[in-house]
Amino acid sequence: MSTSLTPPDSSDRVVPTDAERRQTARDEDAAGVRRARRASLVRYLGMPLFLALVLLGLFLWVGTQELDSIEARTLTAENLLGQTRQHITLTLYSTFFVLLLAVPLGILATRPRLRRYAPVIIGLGNAGQAIPSLGLLALLFYLFRTQPALPSTGTFPVVVSLVGYSFLPILRNTMVGLDQVDRFVLEAGKGMGMSNRKVLRSIELPLAVPVVLAGVRTALVLNVGTAALAFLFGGGGLGETIFAGFQLRRTPVLITGAILVAVLALLVDYLAGLIEEKLTPKGL
Amino acid sequence: MSDQTNGDPLARLGTDAETGETMIELQELTKRFPGQETPAVDRLSLSIPKGEIVVFVGPSGCGKTTSLKMINRIIEPSSGHIIIDGEDVTDIDPNHLRRRIGYVIQQIGLFPHIRIAENVATVPHLLGWDKDRTRERVDELLDVVGLPPEQYRERFPKELSGGQRQRVGVARALAADPPVLLMDEPFGAIDPITRTRLQNEFLRLQTELQKTICFVTHDIDEAIKMGDRIAILQEGSRVAQFATPEEILTHPANDFVEDFVGTGATLKRLKLTRVKEVEPTEALTGRVDEDRETLRQRFDASDWTAMLLLDRENKPLRWLRGPDLRQQDRPLEKAGVRTRALVEPQATLSDALEEMLLGAAGVAIVVDRRGAYRGLLDIDAIITTIQTMKDAQAEYYRAAKLADPEDEVPA
Repeated sequence: MSTSLTPPDSSDRVVPTDAERRQTARDEDAAGVRRARRASLVRYLGMPLFLALVLLGLFLWVGTQELDSIEARTLTAENLLGQTRQHITLTLYSTFFVLLLAVPLGILATRPRLRRYAPVIIGLGNAGQAIPSLGLLALLFYLFRTQPALPSTGTFPVVVSLVGYSFLPILRNTMVGLDQVDRFVLEAGKGMGMSNRKVLRSIELPLAVPVVLAGVRTALVLNVGTAALAFLFGGGGLGETIFAGFQLRRTPVLITGAILVAVLALLVDYLAGLIEEKLTPKGL
Repeated sequence: MSDQTNGDPLARLGTDAETGETMIELQELTKRFPGQETPAVDRLSLSIPKGEIVVFVGPSGCGKTTSLKMINRIIEPSSGHIIIDGEDVTDIDPNHLRRRIGYVIQQIGLFPHIRIAENVATVPHLLGWDKDRTRERVDELLDVVGLPPEQYRERFPKELSGGQRQRVGVARALAADPPVLLMDEPFGAIDPITRTRLQNEFLRLQTELQKTICFVTHDIDEAIKMGDRIAILQEGSRVAQFATPEEILTHPANDFVEDFVGTGATLKRLKLTRVKEVEPTEALTGRVDEDRETLRQRFDASDWTAMLLLDRENKPLRWLRGPDLRQQDRPLEKAGVRTRALVEPQATLSDALEEMLLGAAGVAIVVDRRGAYRGLLDIDAIITTIQTMKDAQAEYYRAAKLADPEDEVPA
């Protein structure tokens, strides 16, 4: 106590020279760079590591459980991997098609000539999302049953319904993304003699990309979740495991299915985030 | 300082309309917006001489920007004709037309997702220039507008200040060397110091470039500074006067022009003059520590209608009138009315005027930093100052324009 109260002896005081100060600054800079690098490592690797840990935990936990014959039959690697693959396929197909439909429609709806139809188009997208996903699936199932040409079970109806369900976020984000482009930037483009098409391609779309991609990301995650219902219509996916666990009251099976869907959703969100970052124009 | 001389109207003489050729001819140009009864622009006819800066100036809503935007048909005219360099461009492909006209807007409108070099290269790209030629031109232009290319070429717009961005905006407009430039309040959103610098630089640039420029502003000072000719526009883009700045200042065509030039310009000048530059008048003062009778005698001997009562530190306290001095029942500190409209010597005349108006007083009391009385500033002094400024201003522009007698067109 007493030593800390004595005033510091002036001969002990170290006055840093300029060179030393510069060195300190350099060290601090280097430390800053290291910190930033560590921060970005955490950002890029944090999520995959976390997911890997969750999967490992799940694996270890299931390993400690005494599995009966039903559980053992359901929780095989072959079974789960197959369902995961189906799940991913459904998600990717539906996302691909919804992009193909909703983005061009969003572009059309923001063109001056078609502007007045925008509320109708948004309404359409709203309807798709307002109907509960299970209801939409069921409706499509009955609708397709009346059309002999269309398969009422399997991948096709599930993809169609997923497209309907994830239509709105992509459509709306496309429209919002295009609308939020500074109109003076567009005026400058036009004022220099760019055609409307050129303005759309070189200015509007690149500037809308971040917002559109945010919509795609939302849609992807929605689709992973909704695809868990696909099994009801013969579309397969991880929903089968969840439902089996639920119906047969086999908790390990239920939990395995649920965690796998959650991990898949988080992984998809993470990957979509990476793509978003990559595709966002640098100057923004 | 060198900027100042370069931006001086003197420097621009000799480049103006040597040939007298018309570059842009507007004939009965009209714009009627759907759902509006009166046309925004009503039969505007104007000839813009080659190599001159013509400024459209007028109050907001007068249609000056609409008029400008009809020249490159960002806004399509409802009727009338636009003739550029002898060619009627009213019905040609607007995209081709616009590549021949430089366009600078207040909001600048740089493309945020591409680099400065690519921004500048917009029109050369559209015209299909090859890579080497484009790059050379971009570097040359960045140099011209005072942004070292090696330093700025690879940057993104968001990494530049407002002034630097507008430099890029000007470079981009000049990229394909268009003979005509349209500028819509190009320096309007930039801080006053940078604005002055950009204006001066632009004027210097124009002596070399000799573009035909249409320039829109609502600021008469800027119009007077930038314009070889000024079109003062009234509602519906009706031309109130189309003349040189000198002529507009000395011979305003009508009351509208006089008002527009007068109010805008002088009020701005009031902000440039400080209270200390105006000789204060002396008030009739008395101090609280003086005898009431002494004060009364001094008051009666003067022809003042009120006396300014100061406290022991010479700070203004109250305005006293005759009855306040004669009544004995109230202490002097409580008599009369409280003093208002106190201004420091550092304040501008504009501040002082505002204080007077707020205090509903004909005078402002000038006090020093510690609040001690220095003198009075009355409204007449401000009016005299305004008159002097106006005369000096007219003199300045007349001198500038007459400096070279060759340029003077005999009346």
